[in-house]
Amino acid sequence: MIQPQTHLNVADNSGARELMCIRVIGASNRRYAHIGDVIVAVIKEAVPNTPLERSEVIKAEIVRTRKELKRDNGMIIRYDDNVAVIIDQEGNPKGTRIFGAIARELRQLNFTKIVSLAPEVL
Amino acid sequence: MAVCSTTTLSIGGSVFSGQLRHWEPNESKLFQKPRSRFRWLCLNDLHLLRFRTKTLNFNPRGSLLPSLYAYGKEADDAFLSKVNEDTDEMFDDLMKKYGEVVFRKNELAVEMAKVASDVKAADIRVLFVKPLVYWSRFFIIATAFSRPQIDAIGSRIRDLAEKKYGKVPSGDAKPNSWTLLDFGDVVVHIFLPQQRAFYNLEEFYGNATLIELPSETQPPFHT
Repeated sequence: MIQPQTHLNVADNSGARELMCIRVIGASNRRYAHIGDVIVAVIKEAVPNTPLERSEVIKAEIVRTRKELKRDNGMIIRYDDNVAVIIDQEGNPKGTRIFGAIARELRQLNFTKIVSLAPEVL
Repeated sequence: MAVCSTTTLSIGGSVFSGQLRHWEPNESKLFQKPRSRFRWLCLNDLHLLRFRTKTLNFNPRGSLLPSLYAYGKEADDAFLSKVNEDTDEMFDDLMKKYGEVVFRKNELAVEMAKVASDVKAADIRVLFVKPLVYWSRFFIIATAFSRPQIDAIGSRIRDLAEKKYGKVPSGDAKPNSWTLLDFGDVVVHIFLPQQRAFYNLEEFYGNATLIELPSETQPPFHT
């Protein structure tokens, strides 16, 4: 359940470390974003000497949330933090490698690029 | 910088909890060991879930604590990480346990590679990724030199799959600098040359076996 003002960590090596959500992409008055949703975010903290800088507005895709993700077979996945992966306008990830586990729902939502860069898929 | 987090998995009411450690490449050698493995096992259409969380928690005093088993039944190693130093050891172990990984030659993958080479795509590689990745069997990676060419390759592959095998891909509809077509057990990646160098998927899937294509489509070998 990510909403504007939510701080998220970054799961790739794009150069950003922390993002703050400023808008949830989808319907006009959409309240929350979950795993598999795209958000507009601003970079709050970045690694020095990388292409991305602090206070840059970018799009990101949520890969892990503290709010649980339910599956039809009754399985519930809940991570320990809210994490996103930075993507560009075309939907390609900005970083080259992704860290941590990724839920397989991203594949159904057309984020197979992120899934193919992930070290493990739950 | 290491990021420690706990993942809680709940199956049918009972809760398993394990320590997930995220390993970043610039971490020192000391921090390599901790990682967790998960594995899905499909037996005769029944999805049997076997979880094995094996992590080594790093004790601040320096000694490594024994593993934390969330649900330990099997002694075998589960998932492989793709680029890792013990991957060779793991492969040897798996080979001993399961013998040679036998795969039926996937005609769809080879035919797609041929179609791509007809449109003059460069450096076509077909990787057998089943031992590394559970959600797919083959990856086809190709380079195209312009967006119209990417469009052409994509549409030809789509047509071939639909006519011959009745498979409809999910993935990019519009040509993209990295166009991906997902056919379930075959995933096609079409890159522009800069993108291919940037993402370097072959290095990430370096442990996948390369499938040999018929000689006309043989890509020029370069390291």
